[in-house]
Amino acid sequence: MLTEIAQIIIAFAVSFILYVTIDVLAGLPKEGGVCGAAAIGEAVEKSGGDIHGGYMLGNIVCSPDASAGTLLAACGVCLFGLWGGLIAAVFVYIGNRICSDKGYAGTAGALVATLVIWGLANAGLIAPQSFIAGMVLAILVIQGISHKYASRLLGKLWRLRA
Amino acid sequence: MIPEITELSLPALICAVAALYSCIRIVLEKNTLRKLPFLNVLTFAVTGIIVLICPTPLGIAAACAYFIGSTLESNAIASTWAKRAEKEKKDAQEKADGEAAQ
Repeated sequence: MLTEIAQIIIAFAVSFILYVTIDVLAGLPKEGGVCGAAAIGEAVEKSGGDIHGGYMLGNIVCSPDASAGTLLAACGVCLFGLWGGLIAAVFVYIGNRICSDKGYAGTAGALVATLVIWGLANAGLIAPQSFIAGMVLAILVIQGISHKYASRLLGKLWRLRA
Repeated sequence: MIPEITELSLPALICAVAALYSCIRIVLEKNTLRKLPFLNVLTFAVTGIIVLICPTPLGIAAACAYFIGSTLESNAIASTWAKRAEKEKKDAQEKADGEAAQ
């Protein structure tokens, strides 16, 4: 087992790549899913950011997406192993339906994250608790440091995919 | 009586620091809509703390309920704010048109 700090750094990198990839593949930066998400995207654009990156920030705020799926899957695996992750995926799907979202990104994110986290925990590499801290750091980097630069980065990724 | 803090794990400490940092950013940010992503970080951090300090079968249900509930709240705040701004814009436009007609 690695030291706790090394585990958290690797967990941060894995969960960041995982949720950004799934969100961009699911087309979250394309448009605001609800009018609130579109308004957040426009507010971020006014502050000098990218409109598509802003839409993705808005969509993450307004509905449980792959980032929420990864966090809740980490919580589930931490408490109950593989079944906990699957229970978390069901909760994420219910949350998506409540927030009038189709729910593909969130549920797919939760299922993929459950497999990855459970696999790494079983291989004895990274403890699920480290994934909780890693995911909090990963969402902090996108949503909590600078909306301008984060939205530009996400906009670039979206143009690569489109 | 103040309960004694026995052990604070590193993941819980990271979540707590992230939560405090996002609180400060929420207070400092002027634009209401741009406060919401920081609020989202706070929600993530608090969900993590709930599971880390309450590792019981109900912990996962509490964490999911808290997370989904606060996402729904953010959704409602953002949608209401967007609709209100749109209505204000429309009213101002109508007022300007009325003045121009007179």
